[in-house]
Amino acid sequence: MVLVLALGDLHIPHRAADLPPKFKSMLVPGKIQHIICTGNLCIKEVQDYLKTLCPDLHITRGEYDEETRYPETKTLTIGQFKLGLCHGHQVIPWGDLDSLAMLQRQLDVDILVTGHTHQFTAYKHEGGVVINPGSATGAYSSITYDVNPSFVLMDIDGLRVVVYVYELIDGEVKVDKIDFKKTTTTTHSAH
Amino acid sequence: MSKEIVKEEAPPFSCVVSAENRGLASLRSVRWRLNLGILPPSPSVDDLRRVTADSRRRYAGLRRQLLVDPHVAKHGGSNSPDLVMDNPLSQNPDSTWGRFFRNAELEKMVSQDLSRLYPELGSYFQAPGCQGMLRRILLLWCLKHPESGYRQGMHELLAPLLYILHVDVERLSEVRKIHEDHFIDKFDGLSFEENDVTYSFDFKKVLDSMEDEVGSQGNSKKVRSLDELDPEIQTIILLTDAYGAEGELGIVLSEKFMEHDAYCMFEALMSGAGGSVAMADFFSPIPAAESQSGLPPVIEASVALYHLLSIVDSSLHSHLVELGVEPQYFALRWLRVLFGREFSLHDLLVVWDEILTADNSPLHKDSGNEESSCFNLLNSHRGALIAAMAVSMILYVRSSLFATENATTCLQRLLNFPENINLKKLVAKAKSLQILALNSKLSSSSFAFDVAYNRSKSAVSGHNLSPGPVSPTTPLSLVPDSYWEEKWRVLHKAEELRQDSLDKQAPSGKRRWSDKVKLVLSRTESDPSPARAEKYKKGHTSSVRRSLLEDLSRHLGWEEDTETGDCFDTSNIEDRQSIEVQVEGQNETSIDSICTAEERCDSGSGTSVSEENSSVFSDPASSGSSTTNDHENDTEKSSVASNLSSDEIDDHHLNNPEDSPLLVSSPPEDVLLNYPHENESSGKMVSASKQKRHLSGRFQWLLKLGRNNVSQEASDKGVITETAKSANRDGKSNTSDSSTAGAPRNSSPTIQRDVVDQNVMGTLKNLGQSMLEHIQVLESVFQQDRVQVGSLDNSAKNNLVGKGQVTAMTALKELRKISNLLSEM
Repeated sequence: MVLVLALGDLHIPHRAADLPPKFKSMLVPGKIQHIICTGNLCIKEVQDYLKTLCPDLHITRGEYDEETRYPETKTLTIGQFKLGLCHGHQVIPWGDLDSLAMLQRQLDVDILVTGHTHQFTAYKHEGGVVINPGSATGAYSSITYDVNPSFVLMDIDGLRVVVYVYELIDGEVKVDKIDFKKTTTTTHSAH
Repeated sequence: MSKEIVKEEAPPFSCVVSAENRGLASLRSVRWRLNLGILPPSPSVDDLRRVTADSRRRYAGLRRQLLVDPHVAKHGGSNSPDLVMDNPLSQNPDSTWGRFFRNAELEKMVSQDLSRLYPELGSYFQAPGCQGMLRRILLLWCLKHPESGYRQGMHELLAPLLYILHVDVERLSEVRKIHEDHFIDKFDGLSFEENDVTYSFDFKKVLDSMEDEVGSQGNSKKVRSLDELDPEIQTIILLTDAYGAEGELGIVLSEKFMEHDAYCMFEALMSGAGGSVAMADFFSPIPAAESQSGLPPVIEASVALYHLLSIVDSSLHSHLVELGVEPQYFALRWLRVLFGREFSLHDLLVVWDEILTADNSPLHKDSGNEESSCFNLLNSHRGALIAAMAVSMILYVRSSLFATENATTCLQRLLNFPENINLKKLVAKAKSLQILALNSKLSSSSFAFDVAYNRSKSAVSGHNLSPGPVSPTTPLSLVPDSYWEEKWRVLHKAEELRQDSLDKQAPSGKRRWSDKVKLVLSRTESDPSPARAEKYKKGHTSSVRRSLLEDLSRHLGWEEDTETGDCFDTSNIEDRQSIEVQVEGQNETSIDSICTAEERCDSGSGTSVSEENSSVFSDPASSGSSTTNDHENDTEKSSVASNLSSDEIDDHHLNNPEDSPLLVSSPPEDVLLNYPHENESSGKMVSASKQKRHLSGRFQWLLKLGRNNVSQEASDKGVITETAKSANRDGKSNTSDSSTAGAPRNSSPTIQRDVVDQNVMGTLKNLGQSMLEHIQVLESVFQQDRVQVGSLDNSAKNNLVGKGQVTAMTALKELRKISNLLSEM
């Protein structure tokens, strides 16, 4: 029973000051085992804050990140699942499912997490899942100003993953969940 | 380890007689379940099975309800659970996830403790199956009782319960192997052979097979019927029959349901099952509702424990209180885990057998009952036994507790209870103390609940005892003994040094007598204690002297005599020479003078006494030979006096200055310890008879002494002392108490009377007064001495005497203080 938090595109301090208080109150240390962040934090302080929530933190580089040494993509294995992480501005057209599927095949992951569009999406595609956690702060994107703060929590349990989506709509936190079962087991790779 | 089976004889227990007859006694788990009230005390096996099944069902339901798996979707309930509430990050305390996280935390705490459980029996207790069961049971209990939560120690209460269940199941499997036939699944009364054919009918052998298959429960000629087995095996079989009442759920000894049964037992133990002692109380920090003291229950129980100890052994109790050893320092662990940490597992099972056998129903229900103990712990048989067990354990190590003046060492001893113990003795003692505890109605209401209650209370309770029923004898209190012993010793040595050149012919008996006198004084001048009080009751008359003599004789009568005169004298001589006079002279002369005065009072004639004194003080540092010779030469008094002297020598030898004061006191303590189990009355008889002998012998000897002294006067030593005493003698004979003078003549008849009940205080007051008189006399003596010193030629003696006098004055002051104290009492 592993809880994995996926978020990104905070754009602090340029486009947003901080996470919404309702989100902040939910994110307490101790419950979450891993955090994967798509990028565009942008400053170190945000990284430190995320580190306090959970020591196991994975970040990929977004185009506005001030820390230059994040990788472009990352893969990790949690339980029976292989997760892939990328910011998404590298994959064009931005947010296109087929292109993202190409990346997923390239990285050979079950779950691909990307951002950049600041819109939450989750597709089940070819035996895998492609998730976009959106922007946790609701910062405006290159494409649109109408952004709802959102992030994703994955509950990985054996061959099953439950994806909880937390969205702040009209000042209220809305939660939704998606179930996904994997059919085959994964052998642990040397990543 | 898992193969070990504990076999013991069936102890009698009050609840179920029929069970005993049916041989359930060796099945600890069943017996304990009966004692804890889980199983009804009913003779029918079916009832047992039904109750067992019910309890198991309850546990299963509890488990399903409380052990939360958030992934399990609620079927038939709400269509879509409210995700806002039920998501993992939800702060809502009602959410399943919230409960899940809380349970996870609890489980973590429990696991920490469990990983350290019984590492020496790790092959059973650290096995993952067992650990899992323990964890679940504890978790569920804590979830069911959120007000108490999980506290360290609960796992140690649970572990033995699971263990005995395991043991019984093993026993069952052994029985199964032996009596395999009865366990075969033969629900038709028929058994089926290996081949599949159901109706194997060999028409030729019809007759034979008919006999075999139709019958009582046997399926072959080998098997006896069930009734032929002994009742124990029978019961086991009936209890484990898969087709009895309630089917498999009702199998009373079942491996499958060990967890359920252990949970039931644990719950009964913790909640007290409607009785008085509930272990859960010991873990709670808040005082119980009906507690009179407002203390947390475990503290109150510790106080109860000390209360019982003070009744049983007040000197040990006061010793511990003096050192600042609070009961809860060690009693917390003892009570919370019910002695689980103090004994090995097998010993513990025996102890728990006893404790659980005791009835747990509360004894005094109505609050209006004045006599009810205000300690909850002592309010039931089981609680009283627990307290008694603890006190018995403390008493078991009492010698090592007395041997130390350090609170830490005491606690170390109590917290690391010795490994090889005589458990039967311990338990038997506990049982005897239990009766005492139940009957203890002494001043419990007046008992201060201050955590540091003073010694005065213990002294009070000690005094309350003396008119009460026969209780274990309490030894003399420690501190005064050592103080006076020290004084005496010092005094004795200084006296020896002073008397180098003096007449050596004074019979050893005389000196011994003075020594005895000193000893007696040292004994009687310590704090009054119950033992002393009893001593004083034994034929104590107005004569202080006589009482002192009696005390001495009694005391000496109790001592074991081993030492010979030789050893004593040589060692003493060495000691004396090594010790400065000046330091000790004060003590010496003070007691010397007292002896002088006392001796004067005692004998009938003033002259003989004073001369006696002079001869006493003129006793040289006699060589060992002379003393032994004298010792042997004594005729009439030898039998008595020599006994006394040898006793005394022994006593003195024990009080070897090389030892620390504590050790000095401890030998007499040990000696006295040998006698606490003596019947007091018989002891009194013995000592009384000894007294008669001693005293009659002594007075004869006194008279003799007087005669001897007159003859030896010429050869006596120092002019000073002689003249001083002669001068004093005159004065003294005028001032001597007529009562004390006349009393000795009546002494023999009075002594021959046995126990004369006197007011303890009165006699002490008398003592104080007489001491005061003596002090006054002595002061006058020394003033005279000082005058006469200057006129002497013998410079050596001058020095000695001068120094002695200076120190004597200071010693007298001390003596005055003591007498004041005594007269105040």
